Amino acid sequence: MTYILKPQLHHPKLPTNGLGYTRRDYEGSVSTLCAGCGHDSISAAIIQACFELELPPHRVAKLSGIGCSSKTPDYFLGNSHGFNTVHGRMPSVLTGANLANRELIYLGVSGDGDSASIGLGQFAHAIRRGVNMLYIVENNGVYGLTKGQFSATSDKGSKSKRGVVNHDAGIDMVSLALQMGATFVARSFSGDKAQLVPLIKAGLAHKGAAFIDCISPCVQFNNHPGSTKSFDYVREHNEAVNRLDVITPRDPIHVDYKPGETVRVQQHDGSILSLHKLAELYNPNNRAQALGYLQARQARGQIVTGLLFVDPDAGDLHDSVGTVDTPLNQLGEAELVPGQAALAAINASLR
Amino acid sequence: MPEPAAAPNGRRVALVGAGPASLTVARDLAPLGYEIVLYDQDAKAGGFIRSQIPRFRLPEEVIDEEVGFVTRLAPMDLRLGQRVDSLKALLEDGYDAVFVGSGAPRGRDLDLPGRQEAAANIHIGIDWLASVSFGHIEKIGRRVIVLGGGNTAMDCCRTSRRLGGTDVKVIVRSGFEEMKASPWEKEDAMHEDIPILNYRVPKAFTHEGGKLTGVVFEVVEAVYDDAGRRKLVPSGQPDEHYACDDVLIAVGQENAFPWIERDIGLDWDDWGMPKVDPLTMQSTNPRVFFGGDAAFGPKNIIWAVAHGHEAAVSIHLFCEGRNVAQRPPPGASLVSQKMGIHEWSYDNDVSNDRRYRVPMREKAEALQDVRLEVELGFDRELALGEAQRCLNCDVQTVFADKLCIECDACVDICPMDCITFTEEVDEPELRTRLKAPALNLTQDLYVSGTLSTGRIMVKDEDVCLHCGLCAERCPTGAWDMQKFYLETTQAEAACLSR
Amino acid sequence: MPQPVKSGAAPRVNDFVVKFANVNGSGSASANGLFARSILRMGVPVAARNIFPSNIQGLPTWYEVRITEAGHLGRRGGVDLMVAMNPQTWDRDLAEIESNGFLFYDSTRPIPPSRFRDDIAVIGVPLTAMCNEAYELPRERQLFKNIIYVGALAGLLGMDVSAIEALLAEDFAGRDKLIRANVEALHMGLDHVKQNLAPLPLQVRQADAVGDRIYVEGNQAAALGAVYGGATVCAWYPITPSTSLAEAFTAYCQDLRVDPDTGKARYAIIQGEDEIASIGMVVGAGWNGCRAFTATSGPGVSLMTEFIGLSYFAEIPAVIFDVQRGGPSTGMPTRTQQADLLAAAYASHGDTKHPLLLPADPGECFEMGALAFDLADRLQTTVFVMLDLDIGMNEWLTKPFAWDDSRKLDRGKVMTAEELEAGADFGRYKEVDGDGIPFRTYPGTHPTKGGYFTRGTSRNPYARYSEEGAVYVDNMQRLLRKFETAKTLVPAPVLKPAKGKTKDGVIYFGSTSVAMDEALEILEAQGRRLDALRVRGFPFAHAVDEFIASHDRLFVVEQNRDGQLRTLLMTEIGVDPSKLVPVLHYDGTPITARFIAGEIGQLLSLGQIEAAE
Repeated sequence: MTYILKPQLHHPKLPTNGLGYTRRDYEGSVSTLCAGCGHDSISAAIIQACFELELPPHRVAKLSGIGCSSKTPDYFLGNSHGFNTVHGRMPSVLTGANLANRELIYLGVSGDGDSASIGLGQFAHAIRRGVNMLYIVENNGVYGLTKGQFSATSDKGSKSKRGVVNHDAGIDMVSLALQMGATFVARSFSGDKAQLVPLIKAGLAHKGAAFIDCISPCVQFNNHPGSTKSFDYVREHNEAVNRLDVITPRDPIHVDYKPGETVRVQQHDGSILSLHKLAELYNPNNRAQALGYLQARQARGQIVTGLLFVDPDAGDLHDSVGTVDTPLNQLGEAELVPGQAALAAINASLR
Repeated sequence: MPEPAAAPNGRRVALVGAGPASLTVARDLAPLGYEIVLYDQDAKAGGFIRSQIPRFRLPEEVIDEEVGFVTRLAPMDLRLGQRVDSLKALLEDGYDAVFVGSGAPRGRDLDLPGRQEAAANIHIGIDWLASVSFGHIEKIGRRVIVLGGGNTAMDCCRTSRRLGGTDVKVIVRSGFEEMKASPWEKEDAMHEDIPILNYRVPKAFTHEGGKLTGVVFEVVEAVYDDAGRRKLVPSGQPDEHYACDDVLIAVGQENAFPWIERDIGLDWDDWGMPKVDPLTMQSTNPRVFFGGDAAFGPKNIIWAVAHGHEAAVSIHLFCEGRNVAQRPPPGASLVSQKMGIHEWSYDNDVSNDRRYRVPMREKAEALQDVRLEVELGFDRELALGEAQRCLNCDVQTVFADKLCIECDACVDICPMDCITFTEEVDEPELRTRLKAPALNLTQDLYVSGTLSTGRIMVKDEDVCLHCGLCAERCPTGAWDMQKFYLETTQAEAACLSR
Repeated sequence: MPQPVKSGAAPRVNDFVVKFANVNGSGSASANGLFARSILRMGVPVAARNIFPSNIQGLPTWYEVRITEAGHLGRRGGVDLMVAMNPQTWDRDLAEIESNGFLFYDSTRPIPPSRFRDDIAVIGVPLTAMCNEAYELPRERQLFKNIIYVGALAGLLGMDVSAIEALLAEDFAGRDKLIRANVEALHMGLDHVKQNLAPLPLQVRQADAVGDRIYVEGNQAAALGAVYGGATVCAWYPITPSTSLAEAFTAYCQDLRVDPDTGKARYAIIQGEDEIASIGMVVGAGWNGCRAFTATSGPGVSLMTEFIGLSYFAEIPAVIFDVQRGGPSTGMPTRTQQADLLAAAYASHGDTKHPLLLPADPGECFEMGALAFDLADRLQTTVFVMLDLDIGMNEWLTKPFAWDDSRKLDRGKVMTAEELEAGADFGRYKEVDGDGIPFRTYPGTHPTKGGYFTRGTSRNPYARYSEEGAVYVDNMQRLLRKFETAKTLVPAPVLKPAKGKTKDGVIYFGSTSVAMDEALEILEAQGRRLDALRVRGFPFAHAVDEFIASHDRLFVVEQNRDGQLRTLLMTEIGVDPSKLVPVLHYDGTPITARFIAGEIGQLLSLGQIEAAE
């Protein structure tokens, strides 16, 4: 926590993107989270991803629930509208917001308490509706703001800072998202921006429900030996299945990998996901295989990271509802109010 | 100031010239018991700062006070008003060492057509300033042209404004941006309605009936060759004539040592300057030391003082019979500034304010009197505001490899993108891999040892604001803000202030 | 030769109550509705009410039709003709018949005389036997039995059969076979009574008392109001008695809100996973500049309270249609009450209060259904439209819907990109002109200005987090000023003065109104004068204060146990409780004129009013 403002001064060579913005223009207020919090790294990754995607910052709507992770939208995209909703209910608010204006980009930021406990239902339902969003769970396996209780994603057998052993099974958000029909599912680690930033870019560009489970060590309460969400543990057990490059339609295409090692997937907005395979057998286009692979690796104590599943042709909730192209919040009297003539006919039918 | 010596050490040192360099030598050696003999041609000590810097910039009381600090350190033999005509003679007087801090007294002249004919109204700026300073000159013509672009030129033009010059111009060969004068000196001159015309090379002085009528200039432009070197070439525009009553030439200063004999074992370089070791300030005659503008040509007072300190160290070593090249190291210390979770014992908040201008006396009033100091000085609030702009360069970001958990907090918070965690590679490659490339090759990178993931931390110090946010966001204290204190090497006892 | 029914009843034309006792799931509802609508077609007003169980099939259900040329649309109380089609409720159904009333039943199975009453006339028609003879399939036998009794009743009551046939033709337009079969069944009953029975003294005669009024459920009217109010997002979770509101909205949108060029929807309707998600979506859409609503009932409101508090504090427009049912808890899910008033007015923790609109009939459901969206946008808060099961799920005769085509949707204080660009000082929670309402911006408005962070935590006028006491108090005071502004925006109360001067008054709202109108006539006829004030909105307009101040004694008539309107009046206006006399009806059935007149009459004749407690 700091109370001085981050100086506005920046590196003289700080690059600008196609919109003329520097990365700094995508920042928000200074974080009030604990020093070293993994969540701050995720905020930085979001800033980097939005800068690289050249998103107009005000066209992103950022929503969150309650908890440490849910405080973070204040710390990035300061010119965007943000909404810190109520505990576990961000998915519904995001769904409603998305219905109102399909043209904005929706970023939901939540934590393991917010999404795996009180909000498990809303999380599942927003995913199964195919709301066009990127939903990031900043997963530290612990209740930080209330000082260190286990969360629903704490692994069975892991130890709290006070030495208490967790006897409840942990909820695997990635498997859940896959089962609920998410069309983009990834897992990453706050301590690996090289992996995380492209995943966020791809997720933001994805049409449909995109989900990233981002393990984010809680330096205060869950970074000790015995924790399975500590920097050391995650680094030791991290099993990346692929490495992602996101090539936007503006970028020149250059190939770094040998043919056969790379899978290319074109997304709805024209962006290309160039996936460099790290695990020989992993196929990110097969939901059932992804689930199986995850389970098998999890049984071996490995934390599978990378882009785990993507359906580049996915639709979204607006497709299901069949809404008009114009955002609903821009429709006026002419489109919405049928007028007295229509009413006369309705009256006649009610006599 | 150091304490005066308890007893003389029996050694005598002659200091030629009583300017800042010599006074520094006196200040360092007197407390060690040296007998100081200080020569100056003028009646008062101070040298250049007294004779050439106009009073409206540096009042005499200040000079008297500062000089007094030094001369009171010991019963010094002040031989003021006494010009040294022969170094040989001085050396024969049996001094253990002689320090030459006689400055660069001669202003450069411009030998252009008309120079002789119109000599009565063409003045060497630096001499003219001295004459004004000592009250010999009190007036100048209405129209004045100052030639040159250094601080002396600025002093000349502003002094002219105070002595009756109402149409004063500075005309300079180079471009405005490249002028040697400090930006604020230029600002102050322009504030006093003095235009600065650039890219004009003087060709001739015009005169009529033995009286100066003006100066003819060739108009040039800057051309840069492939190596980026500038050349001034004729622009092809017609020459320009500027009418004037007086010309002040302030195109630089020349050294001249007519009083130093060439057969005393003291070697000279091709430009007529003594060969002086830049570290020890010793000449090829081991008993003779140089400093200030006398050593390497005109610099500034800060350099003169630095030379004085180094020369004092050398003189002391020399007199002790020790090797002057083996210099005692400077003192240095690093002290943590951490007070609380987000509290530092230095002011780490970075100010975005622009430089505050020093409040100045009303122009009309200032121009009335050449001895009236123009700058009124900061009041408390302004002084604080200006002090807030300090970048705290003395407070260093210090990194402890062992404590780092590589959480990226410092990387994320750094406003200047100074910090990078990356694979270990050679420096040229490393410089390109940083979050923002480190292009200033004169600034070393700060590189940690290998961290637990096998990476290293690299910090580009070039743009660091010393805001301390990296240390504030560091969960393990791997980063700390530590105040660096350097005590430059000074002749033994003079260092006792540490 | 038709046999006249033995009865001591005087002939009554166009003023009696028929009640149908049926078994849920037997298909009786459409037949009963047909009966009521046929009478309307004859120009005679009806007031019909469904009393149904929380069940799909097999439990008792009733349908009460008041035939009232005088236009008394509330329940009168008592039954003149019971159509007893449910053996399970036989005894209590019989008990409900007025003395000298009539019982119509299926005489296929003999019923011992002990199960009848001496003071009523009995009409037996062997409906099942007739069906068994005419139809093969069990389902047909069941369904057409209902139409047969409608035919029989038509004959007994002298109804215009052609009106019934015309309705059948409209209802089954294009399905001629079905029309024919229904008409046949109708005539089967009609012919039976013509041949075997004489008309009853209760008669329906052609009249001209309906006018241009329409016959519609409040839920349907409110849904249409939402369409006209410009609602584009509806998120809801099924709960009786509000479900038909969301479904009607869906149906109207499919008719009225489809882009003619693309066939795409100018609306989005989401069935949420629960009430919490539903209100969450509404809040999200409202935040993002849509007019959004949910429809629910008391249990839903309980679940939604956290979001309602967020809407209040973060100042996000939302509309909730609360179709009230019997509480508390699951309570009486298919019975009516006005028992959510306090829960809605003060929903959520901390100091909160919310505007309520209180429609009294479907016509007002339409008007307030549309108005609620203007108010929600203007006041940037949750606005409740408080229906109840009686209005919501029963077809009421009501004034026709009307819309002024020049009316504009009031989007409230929304700062535009142009205003921001021109340098307007935008503070999301900043008082600008004394009405307590700040400006808002829609997300995505301007690249560098007008963005803010919405949160349920305390913040300063510029939406920056702040827990400073003074900043918090300022904000809460502004919210109070906003609530004061709301008093001038909610619908004004309707005053119905007594025919002469009186110091007694009565205050009521919502579905109580129709019974109250009739009760006032009854009391007036008894020489008991009461000025009547129908409250239509909360917070109370100043006219409510004035009405209370100008009377010595006020009866507060409502359909709940605790006198919730009375509590609100005490709390918000600071009325002396002893001045407000509660008149409460809360058994789950709609309040009747007889109940109100009886209670007030008794209290008045007691000559002294006990202090309410």
